[in-house]
Amino acid sequence: MNEQMEQDWLDKKLQEAAPYIEDDGFTARVLQRLPARQARLQFLRPLILIVASAFASALTYVLSDGGRFIIVEMFKLTTIPTVWVVVFALASGMIVLAGGTVAAMSKANQIQS
Amino acid sequence: MELTDAGLVARVLVDDDQHAYGELVRRHQSSVRGLLRQLTRGDIALADDLAQNAFVRAYRNIRSFRGEAKFSTWLYRITYNCFREDARKRKELVGINEEQWQAEQDPHTVDAGLRHDLMHALSLLPLHERSAVLLCCQNGLSHDEAARVLEIPLGTVKTNVLRGREKLKKTLAAWAQ
Repeated sequence: MNEQMEQDWLDKKLQEAAPYIEDDGFTARVLQRLPARQARLQFLRPLILIVASAFASALTYVLSDGGRFIIVEMFKLTTIPTVWVVVFALASGMIVLAGGTVAAMSKANQIQS
Repeated sequence: MELTDAGLVARVLVDDDQHAYGELVRRHQSSVRGLLRQLTRGDIALADDLAQNAFVRAYRNIRSFRGEAKFSTWLYRITYNCFREDARKRKELVGINEEQWQAEQDPHTVDAGLRHDLMHALSLLPLHERSAVLLCCQNGLSHDEAARVLEIPLGTVKTNVLRGREKLKKTLAAWAQ
C-alpha cells in the first residue's frame, strides 16, 4: 500500500469509527438550559416608540398653534393644478414601493445567506 | 426548503428564535458529542456535559459569530475551548471507559478488533496531535479551519496531523496489510 492509499485508508477508518450519535433528548436538554428570551425588552421596544411618537405629536400640535399650519398648507394644496397633484401622488407611491422592495430584498438576502 | 446554518443563525439573531437554535443543535449534536467523546477518551457522561455547555455558550455568544467561517468551525472552536478549560481543571486525568466506549460504537461499520486498536492508538496520542487528527481526518476540517479551532498556527496543525497520522499508521500497520 502506498503512502496516499495508507492515508486514505486511515481517514476512512477514523470516519467509520465515529458513527452518528442519536439525539435521545440531548437537544431538549440543551434548550432547557438556554437563558430565557428577553421578553421584557421586546415588550418595551414598541412601547417606547408609541410614547415617543405621542409626545412628538403633542409637542408639534402645541408649537404649531393648534395645527394651524396644516390648514394653511391644505389651503395651498387646493390652489395647485390637478396635474401636479397627480404627479406628486404617483411619485410618492413609487418612492414608497421602491423602499418596500429594497427592504424586502435585503431581508430575504439576510435570511438566505 | 431547508434553511442553511447561516439562515438559522440569522433567525436566532433577529427574532431570538430558540426553535431555530434547536435545529442547529440537532444538526451538529452528533459531531460535537463525537469529537468530545474522543477527546475525553470515551468518557461519555463528561463528553455530553461538555457538549451541553458548548451549545449553551454558543447561544450566549452567537452575536460574536460574524459568518467569516462556517458555523460548524465556530462551534468546534467553542467546543474545544470548553474541553480545554475542563481538562485544565482535571489536568487531563480522564480515564478510558473502554467498556462503555465499545458499546457505543457501531459494530457493523468497522471490524471490532481494528476499532479497538484504532481507538486505543488514538487515545495514546498526545492531546495536540489527537485534536488535530480528529478535526482534520475524522471531521473533515481543512488545516486552516483546524488552526482556527485550536487557535494555533497553520504550520503547527500540519505538523501535528502528520505526526499523529504517522503514529497511528505505525500502530495499525498490521491491519493495513
